[in-house]
Amino acid sequence: MPTIEVQRQVLPILGSPNQGARFFNPELPSSEPFVPGHRTCAGCGPSIQYRMTTKAAGDNTILVGPTGCMYVANSSYLCTPYNVPWAHTQIGSAGSFTAGVAAAYEAMIRKGKWKGAFPNIICEAGDGSASDIGLASISGALYRNHDCLIICYDNEQYANTGIQASSRTPYGGMTTFSPPGPKVPEAKTLFPKDLARMMAAGHPHCYVATASVGYPIDLMNKVRKGLNHKGAAYLMIYTPCQKGFVYETPRSIDLGRLVVECGLYPIWEWNPEKRAYDYSFRPQNMRPVSEYLKLQGRFGHLHAEHIAKLQNFANEQWRMMGVELPEALIHAADAKNLVNMAAAVEAETVAQTL
Amino acid sequence: MSTKGTKIPERLKIPFAGITPAPTQEKGQDLFPTGNWRSIRPVYRDKLPPCNNACGTNEKIQGYLDLVKRGKYLDAYALIKEDMPFPSVTGRVCYHPCEQACNRGKYDEAISIRAVERFLGDLGQALARDVVKAGTPNGKKVAVVGSGPAGHSAAYQLARLGYKVTILEKSPKAGGLNRGGIPDWVLPQHVLDREIERLVEIGVTIKTNVEVGKDVTWDELKKNYDACVLAVGLTEPNSVRAEGENKDGVLYGLPFLRDIGMGTSKVKVGARVAVIGGGNTAIDCAREALRQGAVEVTMITVESNPQEMPAVPEDLHDMVEEGVELMHGRTVTAVLGNGRIEALQLHPARFSGAINASPITVDKEAKAERFAVDNVIIAVGQRASLGWLPDEFKTERGTIKIDRFGRLGDTNFFAAGDIVQLGSGQPLMVVNAVGDGKRVAFNLDKVLRGQALEPRTVPVDVLFDLNRMNMTYFPHFPRVQQTLLPAASRRKTQEEVIQAYSEEQAVEEASRCFSCGTCNACDNCYLVCPEPCIVRDVRSNGLYKILVDYCKGCRVCIEECPTGCLEGVPELDFDTGVVRMDTAFAVSPGLHGRQAEELKNLGDRAAKNI
Repeated sequence: MPTIEVQRQVLPILGSPNQGARFFNPELPSSEPFVPGHRTCAGCGPSIQYRMTTKAAGDNTILVGPTGCMYVANSSYLCTPYNVPWAHTQIGSAGSFTAGVAAAYEAMIRKGKWKGAFPNIICEAGDGSASDIGLASISGALYRNHDCLIICYDNEQYANTGIQASSRTPYGGMTTFSPPGPKVPEAKTLFPKDLARMMAAGHPHCYVATASVGYPIDLMNKVRKGLNHKGAAYLMIYTPCQKGFVYETPRSIDLGRLVVECGLYPIWEWNPEKRAYDYSFRPQNMRPVSEYLKLQGRFGHLHAEHIAKLQNFANEQWRMMGVELPEALIHAADAKNLVNMAAAVEAETVAQTL
Repeated sequence: MSTKGTKIPERLKIPFAGITPAPTQEKGQDLFPTGNWRSIRPVYRDKLPPCNNACGTNEKIQGYLDLVKRGKYLDAYALIKEDMPFPSVTGRVCYHPCEQACNRGKYDEAISIRAVERFLGDLGQALARDVVKAGTPNGKKVAVVGSGPAGHSAAYQLARLGYKVTILEKSPKAGGLNRGGIPDWVLPQHVLDREIERLVEIGVTIKTNVEVGKDVTWDELKKNYDACVLAVGLTEPNSVRAEGENKDGVLYGLPFLRDIGMGTSKVKVGARVAVIGGGNTAIDCAREALRQGAVEVTMITVESNPQEMPAVPEDLHDMVEEGVELMHGRTVTAVLGNGRIEALQLHPARFSGAINASPITVDKEAKAERFAVDNVIIAVGQRASLGWLPDEFKTERGTIKIDRFGRLGDTNFFAAGDIVQLGSGQPLMVVNAVGDGKRVAFNLDKVLRGQALEPRTVPVDVLFDLNRMNMTYFPHFPRVQQTLLPAASRRKTQEEVIQAYSEEQAVEEASRCFSCGTCNACDNCYLVCPEPCIVRDVRSNGLYKILVDYCKGCRVCIEECPTGCLEGVPELDFDTGVVRMDTAFAVSPGLHGRQAEELKNLGDRAAKNI
């Protein structure tokens, strides 16, 4: 039996001076595999991410949607906004389903039953699926190195069931599973799972990267790099959730930038050839974490010592990236130099009057 | 759900109950028009950038900077030519009120708009044929008196409107103040000559050595032409009313420059020259005197320090760099000497009223100074010479009396330029005269067509506040400096002091533009929309469309619009006469729509004409 050469799609990398949106980019593809008319909230971060990802991937794409916001809100009444083949799978089986699709196409091409280029196979798992429930299956798909891209759109909670804490929920984040109170004033006491580094360390042959919706061109380029990489790739993308984070809808992109500038969401790439992290991405500014926290209602209860703890966490992230810390950030890591969030101050006075 | 790539058996291909239509890229999921969730609608409403607003002739500065940024130099040149007949001249001589107004000046450094304009002007000069064409002839004849900036501009606009224009110029060469008032090392003669050639190319007749009042009378103008634009300028120099001002060796600023410019100068300046006055003409005179062979040039001003001088700081700086001395707080009370100037008698003086407004108070009690000189150049302003004008049209300032449309009473005579702007509070600048000439030409056109003249009543929203833009998208970036000739060498030559931008420099500088309040097609809104319901049909024209059937009103696009062009308008404001969820664009497209339309047409026009 003659072997059939697998035709692969090679997506060009977009050029942009600052990796942000800002400049008209003539190379931007015009196709929209993700169309309007979906039922996500106004200003939805995951759907911004979905749109950019599919735009970068193009029309010859197959999407896998394990249970999550992007399945629940988008596919009611058998009607989805995806203009490319899309399939739902159980929340736990994101990796195995995606691996199956990739393996099926490999086999079909090998047997001559599929003519044409190997499609871009993308799995869009929420952080609930990617970091908790479907962790094992995704790890398996990465380990077996199926040619697919697995994306964790990280909105830091289980949002479609009504804001419950996931292992990606940051320290101090209020959810219905982690409400602040007199005993636990900081709400969530645990720091988030470092999911992307875990995937990079455990599957060093895969392309692994983090991205944020605040840097669209960077995000789209990482999607394309992941798809061009022969083998499995994994992306973790910061996508703010307006309902869970409690912010004003226009700030979606702004938060995506601030979280990076505050050091709470380091942007890096794992280079599988060199087996090394690439920390060359630098945001325009470095800011104290309070600038990110104060925009969000879920951090409104934080006291000075909690903010200091988060600043320490951010400082560690900067150090891990090999960035020299400015004096101001070290200063901000001391609770003595910080004040409580305005809402937290009010809450205390309410407790005293009661 | 898309069925692309799926093999559907024949029996399933008929539509049956329960199946929903697949979404399309064109229409989206029209089963779910999520637009009815919205309470605030994003609307593109272009504001006027402060540079366009400050420019004397309202050049579309943001527009051409944007085109230069994209490498469309010819379109940019065509855009500039709508308002400005000679960008290569103003690119050299303009005192750039646009740069003073530039919002980037509050952020780091203002855009070097003049340098980009000069780049485009020089590009236009190099073209074999200009992009501008004369209008379809309408059979009417118009005379323009004076070929200075205002006359040139009026003639240019009228020729484009289809009039048969004749310029009457009293000097042997056309150009007026552009030739006579601006030295060669700022504006080389050949540049101006080429711009005047361009004017002739679009059908304007220039008659030199024709002086109104002498060679042609008021009544003849009235009889021979359908209308007339008077742009005679200010030709007579003011005196300082000092004793012995009629002695040999006393020169006046503008005639001094004019004679050199026209090539008719017989003056040989001595080694020591004093310049009286602190304005821009005085600075040009001082620098010209150096080039004419003076060794020591001193500038004597009434202002007590350089900051108060009504001059452009850059020129002042360049002058001091070339070695001109400044002497402040004094005025000339007498010119001493026996028939020929030997020295000046100086007294301390100050302005009695506001800064730079006469009359001046001379302290006669103080001891007079004697200041030895070989020549003095007096450059303390100009006045008009209007002996030929009927008295009813003269003002007490010695200028022409006009209504707010530039018209002389009910006649078909119009006046423009310095002759009407003196004392009006507007600084006398080339660009203001050009703007005046342009507006008067349009008003004249209306009068001859029998249309009513109406002042512009459209409220203009000028964007001055940086908070209305998203500054995160603008990294700090220094201004690209134009190179200057070294101060030592430029003292002796007539070569241009300020050097032109290269193509790379022009693009780099144009890229710094914020595009304040005006859509420049940066694609931000298009890229950040979560729906995505912002679409664009033609990529390059900057016209985006919001599908209001789907827009949920999240306002991410408004927040991320770098230029502040997008605005949120409450949905309730749309209830008058507008079917909700039916209009995709603003109540009024404003400048945005117009600009996009213009840019679209420009491409065709430029391609055809060249």
